[in-house]
Amino acid sequence: MPGTVVSIIVDGPLTPEALAEALLPHRADLERVHATGNVGATLRFDGIVRRMERDTKMSGEERALSHLEYQTYDPMAERELRSLAASVCDRFGLLSIIALHSRGLVAVGEVSFVLEVASAHRAEAIEAMPAFIDRLKQDVPIWKRAVWDDSPPATRVKR
Amino acid sequence: MRVEVLLFGPAGAAVNSDRVAVEVAECEPGVCTVREALQALQAQHPALRSAIGTIERARLAVNHQYASAETKIRPGDEVALIALVGGG
Repeated sequence: MPGTVVSIIVDGPLTPEALAEALLPHRADLERVHATGNVGATLRFDGIVRRMERDTKMSGEERALSHLEYQTYDPMAERELRSLAASVCDRFGLLSIIALHSRGLVAVGEVSFVLEVASAHRAEAIEAMPAFIDRLKQDVPIWKRAVWDDSPPATRVKR
Repeated sequence: MRVEVLLFGPAGAAVNSDRVAVEVAECEPGVCTVREALQALQAQHPALRSAIGTIERARLAVNHQYASAETKIRPGDEVALIALVGGG
């Protein structure tokens, strides 16, 4: 039986509230996976916007970010994200895979990407993670643009 | 034939636009290939060369599908340069 695949592009940061809302239509399907008693491992990766990033326009020196702005080519981005999730689910025999990515502005400290997998054994969950992320960065038409924070360090908002 | 190519990310920033137009030699009336469109992009928009990279590694999407070098582009097709993606 194929695993359950959920992939969604969400406007803005992936806050707990945004995640809950995006996953609401899929909750029953995901709960069914766990109710089978077949799940032996779950693994979740959160991609978070970090403060310091290399600025390739300034000889690669590190500079403070304010936000990352994610641009997606729709609807191709959503289709490629789903196709990638389905292919990784199938390749590693996962019981479920959830992939969510932000579109638009995401501030430092906020989550822009969530990948959660469930499998019968730990090995396939652990191996699926890097396989998915490597291909995400090659195949899914999503681009990020740095929005730099040029305010003095002492005045920056801590998250 | 004239082909409009949608641009994103660093490619769009390189020419400060979300699209460029290229004149492409037709392989048959009203039709050109992805390879010819990429070659025309490189030749007619030098600012895009670093975003395109080599012709072998560059990718165009035609009607929202990754296209091979031999894929044919016809009038009305939506063509996009998918270069240097980097989500996550």
